[in-house]
Amino acid sequence: MPWLTIAVLLPLLGAALTAALPARLIAAPRIIALSAAGLSLLALLITVARFDPGAGMQLVEEARWIPSLDVAWRLGVDGMALALCLMSAILFLAAIAYGVGPRPLGRTAAALLLSLQGATLAFFLAEDFFLFYVAFDLTLVAMYFLIALWGGERKRYAALKFFLYTLIGSLPVLLGIIALSLSAEGEPTFDMIRLAEERPIAGSGVGASLVFLAFFVGFAIKTPIVPFHTWLPAAHVEAPTVGSVLLAGVLLKLGTYGLVRVNLQMLPDAFAQFALPVALLGLLSVLYGALVAMAQTDLKRLIAYTSVNHMGYVVIAIAAAASTGISPEARALAIDGAVLQMLAHGLVTGALFFCVGFIHTRAHTRELGALGGLMKPMPVYGSLIALAFFASLGLPGLAQFPAELQIFLGAFDAWPAVAAVAVIGIVLTAAIFLRALQRAFLGETPERWKRLPDLDRRELVTLLPLLILVVALGVYPRLALDLISSGSWLQ
Amino acid sequence: MRMTVADMKAMEERMIGDLPWLSPIGALVLAAVIAIVLALVLPRRRQGLVGAWVAGAHLAAAGLAAAVWIDRGFARVLEGTVMVDGLALTLTGIVGIAGALCVGLARPMLAGTDREGEFYAVLAASSLGAVVLGSAADAALLAIALGLLSLTSFIMTGYLRHSERGNEASLKYYIYGTVSGAVMVYGLTFWFGIAGTTDLAAVGRAVAGAPDAVVIASTALVVVGLAYKASLVPFHFWTPDVYDGAPLPVAAYLSVLPKLAGLIALARVLPMALPDGAVGWPTAIAILAAVTMTLGNLAALAQSNVVRLLAYSSIAQAGYLLMGIAALSGSPQGIPALVYYAIAYAVTNIAAFAVVIAVQRERDRVDLQAFAGLGRRHPWWTATLILSLLSLVGIPPLSGFVGKLEVFSAAIDAGQAWLAVIAVVNTVISLFYYLRVIAPAVLDTPGDAPPATTAGRPLNAVLSLATAATVAVGVAAEPLLWLAERSVPLATG
Repeated sequence: MPWLTIAVLLPLLGAALTAALPARLIAAPRIIALSAAGLSLLALLITVARFDPGAGMQLVEEARWIPSLDVAWRLGVDGMALALCLMSAILFLAAIAYGVGPRPLGRTAAALLLSLQGATLAFFLAEDFFLFYVAFDLTLVAMYFLIALWGGERKRYAALKFFLYTLIGSLPVLLGIIALSLSAEGEPTFDMIRLAEERPIAGSGVGASLVFLAFFVGFAIKTPIVPFHTWLPAAHVEAPTVGSVLLAGVLLKLGTYGLVRVNLQMLPDAFAQFALPVALLGLLSVLYGALVAMAQTDLKRLIAYTSVNHMGYVVIAIAAAASTGISPEARALAIDGAVLQMLAHGLVTGALFFCVGFIHTRAHTRELGALGGLMKPMPVYGSLIALAFFASLGLPGLAQFPAELQIFLGAFDAWPAVAAVAVIGIVLTAAIFLRALQRAFLGETPERWKRLPDLDRRELVTLLPLLILVVALGVYPRLALDLISSGSWLQ
Repeated sequence: MRMTVADMKAMEERMIGDLPWLSPIGALVLAAVIAIVLALVLPRRRQGLVGAWVAGAHLAAAGLAAAVWIDRGFARVLEGTVMVDGLALTLTGIVGIAGALCVGLARPMLAGTDREGEFYAVLAASSLGAVVLGSAADAALLAIALGLLSLTSFIMTGYLRHSERGNEASLKYYIYGTVSGAVMVYGLTFWFGIAGTTDLAAVGRAVAGAPDAVVIASTALVVVGLAYKASLVPFHFWTPDVYDGAPLPVAAYLSVLPKLAGLIALARVLPMALPDGAVGWPTAIAILAAVTMTLGNLAALAQSNVVRLLAYSSIAQAGYLLMGIAALSGSPQGIPALVYYAIAYAVTNIAAFAVVIAVQRERDRVDLQAFAGLGRRHPWWTATLILSLLSLVGIPPLSGFVGKLEVFSAAIDAGQAWLAVIAVVNTVISLFYYLRVIAPAVLDTPGDAPPATTAGRPLNAVLSLATAATVAVGVAAEPLLWLAERSVPLATG
C-alpha cells in the first residue's frame, strides 16, 4: 500500500470534499477534517513501523506524471522527513481540533487547513523537484487565506506581506531547481534522489555558488534568517491562533528542511565555501532574535521573535555540518540536533502560540503590561504555560535541551567560537521567558483578571498532547533521535 | 518571370490539390460566409443560431487541424505561401477553441440586439485572419492576414455603435493599427528587395549577403507590425484604451487570439528570415521581452479599473511569451515553451475575462470595488477568479506555472538566465496587483451590491470550461507538453 501517498492525498481529498459540501451541513467539515488528519497521521505511523532507520532514503513511491519533463509523483522518507511529517501531522490535528473562525469549523477553514496539511506533507516527502515546488507554493496560498480571512486588525497587510515576501523567496528556488534539472547528465530531470546522488552542479565555482545562493535566499526567507525575517512578526501577530501555531510550528521548518535536503545534500562543495558566513547569519539570528524579543511587550510578538532565535541554532548546526573541518561524528550530532530542534521547536512554540490564543480570547489583550497575576485565577493554564516557557528556554528534561546540546556539540567541532557565543542566546532566552512569566503570571492579580475561567476541555485536549510529547522527548530524546539517525542518510 | 498558360494550369492544379491541407482555414471561411447569410435570413430572436454555427465551425476547424496532423502530416502549400506544420496546426486548434469560447462570452451581450449575427461573422473572419497570420510563410500573405485580422478587430471594437467609448476605442485602434500595418509593409518591401521574391525563406537565404544596416532596419519595421498585434512595448499604447472601450467579450477575444497569432507569426518569421540568429535578433527580442513584461507589470500596479489592469497584465504576459521566442535560436525548448504557455495563457485569460464580464453584467461596474464580497454571493465565480489570476501569477500546479517553468527553462537553456531573473522579479510584482483584485472578492462584504443573479447558460458554460482547463492544463500537463514538443515550424532550406 502506498502509505506515503495516502498520508498526503487524504488531507487534500478531505479539503476538496469539505469545499464542495452544502452550507447547511454545519458539523460535517469538522468531522471530515478530523478524520482526514487523523487517518493521515495513522498512515505516517504505519510508515514508522515499516521504517528502517539505518537504511537512508527508503519506501519510495513513484508514479508517472509528466514524462516529457521527467517529472513524477515521487515520495520517499528518511529519518528527517519522517520525523518532521509526524510532528506536522500532530500539530495539524491539534489545530483542527481547536478550530479557526466561527465554530464549529466552517467549510472554508477546514478546506484551507487540510490543503495546508496536504501541501506540507507533500513538501517533506517529495523526492521530485516539481512536486517539491508545487507543495512549497501551495503552503503560501493556503496560509495567505488563513491570515487574510481570520486574522487580527492588520490582517490584509500582514497576509500580503507574507505572500509577497515568501514568493520573492520561492522564485529564486524555482530558478535553482531549473538550473539543477538542466545540469543533470543526459536528459533534464527533476528527480531529487538522482540529483542528490549525482550532484551535477559540483565544485564551488561561480555557477555553483549562484545556484547555492538562489536556494539559500529562498530558504533563508522561510526559516527565517536575519536579515530576511521582517515578514515574520507581522504575519505571526496578525494570524489567527491556529495560523500562528502552524506558521511557527510547521512552515518555518520548510526553510530549514530545504537547507538540508537541497543545499547540504546536493550542493555540498558550494555550501562548504559559504559555511562560515551562513553560520554567522545563524548566530546573528540567535542573538538578534533574543535581544529584540526581550524588548517586546506583546506576548505573541515576543514568541515570534524567539522563533527567529531558535531557528538560528538550527542554521548554525546545518552550517557546521557543511563545513570542511568537521568530523563525521560531529556532523551527525549537528544534524541530529538540528532536526530534533526543529521537532522540539515545533511542538513547544506551537504550544506557546496556543496558550497565547487562550489568554487573548479571555482577556482580549496580549500585552505583558496589562496582564498580571494570572497564576491564581488560572492555575492549570499558568502551570502549562510555565512548562512551555521552560521548554522554550531549553531547560534540561524538556525537548529543546537535548536538541540544543547536540547542536552546540556539533558546532563546537567546527567553530568553537561560534558555538560559545551562541550559548549566550540561551541566557538571553531564559531572561525573556522568566520575565514574561513573572510579569504575566506571578504576583498580585488585578481585579479584572480575578474571575478569568481556566482552560476548558477543548483547549486542554489541544494543548496537553503537545506538552506531553515535549516532556517525553526531553526525558528520552532517543525516541526521536533513533528515528532521525542522520548518520545513515547524510553523506 | 512570365508564366505560360501551361505553367498556370499546373499551378492551378497544385493549388486545388492543396485544398485538403487547408480544410481548417476553409472551415473558418465557410463559417464567416454562411454566418452572414444566416444573419440576413434569420429573424432577430433566432440570431443565436448564427452564434452556434460560428462556435461549431471554430471547433470544427480545430478538429480538422487535428485530422490534417494525423492523416497528412506537414507540408508547405499554396506555392509555398502557407505552412501547414505543427506550429500552424496547434495555433489553429487554439484559435478554434478560444474562438468558440469567445462566442459564448459574446452571446449574453448581443442577445436581442440588432446586427447580432453579423458580429459572429466578423469574429469568424478575425479568427481566419489569425490562423493565416500564424501560417504565413510569404511576405504578401503576412500583410494580407495582418490586414484582415486588424480590420475585423477594429469593427468588433466599435460594434456597439451607440457607445461613445466604443467609437473612440475603435478609432484609436484603427489609426494605430493602420499605421503599424503600413510600417510593416514598408519593412516587407525591403525584405522583398533583399530576396527578390516575397518568399520569407528566400529572405533567409539572401540575408547573409545583404548589408547589416538594411537588414536590421527592415526587420525592425516588420517587427513593428507584429509587435503591435501582440501588444509588445513600445507598440502597446492602444491596448488599455481599446480593452477599456470595447465591449468586454471583444476585449477577451483581443487579449487572446490576435496576440497569440502575432507572437506565433514572430516565432515563425524571425528564424525563417534571419537564420542562425543573424544580426543578433535573439538578444534584441530578449530585451524587448524584458521591457514589455516590466512596463506591463509596473503600469498594472497603478490601475483601479480591473479591465485596464487585465489589459496591462496581458501586455506583461506577452513579455513572458516572448521569452520563448528569444530562446528559440539557442535552445530547442524555445518554441515548445511558447506554444505551451500560449495554450495556458489562452484558457486562463478567457477565464479571468469571463468573471469580469459576469461581474459587469450584474453590478454594472468594473473597478476594484465591484468585486467586493463576490465570495459570499458567487463562490464559484470567486473560485474562477482566484484560480485564473493565480495561474497568471504562476502558482503551481496551475497551467500558468507550468508555462512559466517552460519559458524560464528555455531561457536558461539558451544562455539568457538574466532574462529569467527579470521575469522572476516581474512575477513578484504581478502578484501584488492580482491579489488586489482577489482580496476584495474574498475578504470584503458585498455592501450595497445588487443581489446575486445567474450568469446565463453560455457564460456559465465558458466559466466552467475555462476554469477546468486552467487547472487541467497544469495538472495534466503531459499531453499538451507532448503536443508542444511537436508544434515546431517546418524547416525551410
